[in-house]
Amino acid sequence: MDWAGWAVFGLIATTALTAAMIAAQLLGLTRLDLPLLLGTILTENPDRARVAGFFIHLGVGQGFALGYALFFVLLGRATWWLGGLLGLLHSAVALTVLVPLLAGVHPRMASYRAGPASRAVLEPPGLLGLNYGPRTPLVTIVMHLIYGVALGVLLRIG
Amino acid sequence: MGGPDPDQPPIEDYGLLGDTRLAALVSSAGAIDWMCVPYFDGQPVFGRLVGGPEAGTFRLGPANRSTVVSRRYRHESATLETTWETATGRLTLTEGMVAEVTGRLMPPTLLVRRLTATGGPIEAVVEFDPRLGEQHRRPDSRRHKEILVCGWPGLAIALHTAPHIAITPGQPTTVRIEPGEPFTVALAVAAREPLVHVPPAAAWDALEADERRWRAWCMDVHQSLPRRDVVLRSLLTLQLLTYSPSGAPVAAPTTSLPEVLGGTRNWDYRYAWPRDASIGVAAFLGVGKQDEARRFMAWLLTATRLDRPRMPVLLTLFGRHPRPERVLDQWPGYARSVPVRDGNGAAEQHQLDGYGWVIDAAWLLTKSGHPLYGETWRAMAGFADTVAARWREPDAGIWEVRGDRAHYVHSKLMGWLALDRALRIADNHRISRRRKARWAAERDALAVDIIERGYDPARQTFTRSYGSADLDAALLVLPLLGVEPVDSPRVRGTIDAIRRELTADGPLLYRYPPGQDGLPGTEGAFLPCSFWLVQAMAATGAVDEATELFDALIDLGSSLGLYGEEITPVDGRYLGNFPQALTHATLVQAALALRDVDGSSRRL
Repeated sequence: MDWAGWAVFGLIATTALTAAMIAAQLLGLTRLDLPLLLGTILTENPDRARVAGFFIHLGVGQGFALGYALFFVLLGRATWWLGGLLGLLHSAVALTVLVPLLAGVHPRMASYRAGPASRAVLEPPGLLGLNYGPRTPLVTIVMHLIYGVALGVLLRIG
Repeated sequence: MGGPDPDQPPIEDYGLLGDTRLAALVSSAGAIDWMCVPYFDGQPVFGRLVGGPEAGTFRLGPANRSTVVSRRYRHESATLETTWETATGRLTLTEGMVAEVTGRLMPPTLLVRRLTATGGPIEAVVEFDPRLGEQHRRPDSRRHKEILVCGWPGLAIALHTAPHIAITPGQPTTVRIEPGEPFTVALAVAAREPLVHVPPAAAWDALEADERRWRAWCMDVHQSLPRRDVVLRSLLTLQLLTYSPSGAPVAAPTTSLPEVLGGTRNWDYRYAWPRDASIGVAAFLGVGKQDEARRFMAWLLTATRLDRPRMPVLLTLFGRHPRPERVLDQWPGYARSVPVRDGNGAAEQHQLDGYGWVIDAAWLLTKSGHPLYGETWRAMAGFADTVAARWREPDAGIWEVRGDRAHYVHSKLMGWLALDRALRIADNHRISRRRKARWAAERDALAVDIIERGYDPARQTFTRSYGSADLDAALLVLPLLGVEPVDSPRVRGTIDAIRRELTADGPLLYRYPPGQDGLPGTEGAFLPCSFWLVQAMAATGAVDEATELFDALIDLGSSLGLYGEEITPVDGRYLGNFPQALTHATLVQAALALRDVDGSSRRL
């Protein structure tokens, strides 16, 4: 297991993913904003939340990178296409499980069952994150492909 | 498919039931003739209102001849109560939807209806005929113990009665209601999730708990409001029309209720307009409901994200662009008014005024002690840049005219407002000097342009658009903006001219000269304009007249205190989608204007 590689390249891959996501937002492709979603768990100020969320996202990305690294070790190889396949699987899980479930635990995210007493101001992402724009699934898949391919190229199993 | 329904009640006959996720319209006969599931802009499951008899209904009421003797919302709540006098006694239907289901194993949609009798046993009828969507699809029905389950792919409705009676969809069932033995019905809806069966007694308890919550909510509303009871009904209606999961204010829960009976001016209002959200910010701030005001702003911020710095005219409940407008060919429409439309084509228009409403709402928030977050300010500044860049273009205007675009004076005034309020916010928020200077220059140029090209000195009034002789009742917002002093001859002249030339009858105004929009037929008087007139008169010192006008408008409300978009001057029938958030929001603002000129509540 290449621990040093994991530490450095996990960070690089997550940063690349985050940069791709911010670019997609600036291009008006999606309203999905993971740093904001994660940071607003801690604060309602969106500007501060983005900073906090960015670091939380880096930590989460590092955790997922560990999973990728272990997977590569188990298979005995790390290639760009294996990373890409894992990225596809990762994006599918994120879209169908992780992001929709966020509404159940996030203190500032409303659910589809929210009533007038709800003070949660973040709209729920919905299935595949479609509430954040129709291109959200596509953007998420591309982001995770970048993440997976980056790790597949950069990580070593020795 | 069905033809027109000869027994259709007038629009104002309907009451609103809601849970802030969807809404139902119920007639004084106890028939729910409109309800879309699982949210406001979903598919109708009871659609008789505009879909004819084959589109489904859910009626609970007397089986034999009866007269409505009382109909009201229970005190400061969303629970509706209708009482009929029958030959054998009085029958009362109490009904509502449970709004707060978070954190409990409850269905997201739970409609509760209870019949009680006094004076003697009464024969009642249950007519449960759910039909889904455009094709009025009948459900697959089955029974689970005492519960009737009606299913379509991805959607199920459960009907549970206590005491139990066997109900078959589409077939009226009679039930004998004995005094002291209420008959309770709980209807639960599940979309893409399992049904949650709630016994009717538990559903009733949940409804009563909700009632207590609504009352507690009302207690916080300022006591100093004139006609507070009426204002509270408007605020509750606005709350019921706000989609809680996203905070989107729905313009109205219906589609295609006609602006002309038998005409073609039938639009889908089950969407959210940033303009309405902004007016909602002002209305809720004014009555002391800061959280609700901030929620509207939060919705505006997230919903417009993909389009910035352009502001879309209208959005779905989750900030998406609406589906393309289309016609439901087989639907007979309300009072033979076709076409019935699904979707709203106005979404593609450019309307300059929207920017003014939104930035003004942000300014009001900052003024009330809520500095804007950096992101909010960046969004507002982007909108101001758009106004500075585009105000010289013609637009579709606040009335969303579907013909050629024009230089509407109201749009230009609201463009001025956008830049002016952005500059005021900039006094306490970071922005470059270059940007501020540009906004100031464009604002001043706009003011000059409006007076040079939008003012008719001979008649001493601003006009509807550059080069036009027509007037526009939307110009009644003029004294509220600050572009001209309230005592300026141009302001007073415009108010006088609108009152003179656009009067419909009594307190009513047409929004523009009837027939001047390229569509067939003559629409009714536009109620929000009359409430703007109250504000304009209050702002220009005609407080007594404004008060009289406000009282006259209150008398025009439905027996339940609900308002539509328009009203027929001749017979007082409501027109347009119902109930209308814009009308209720302007009613609240008119009450606030009267309160604020008064200093304290001198009346009531």
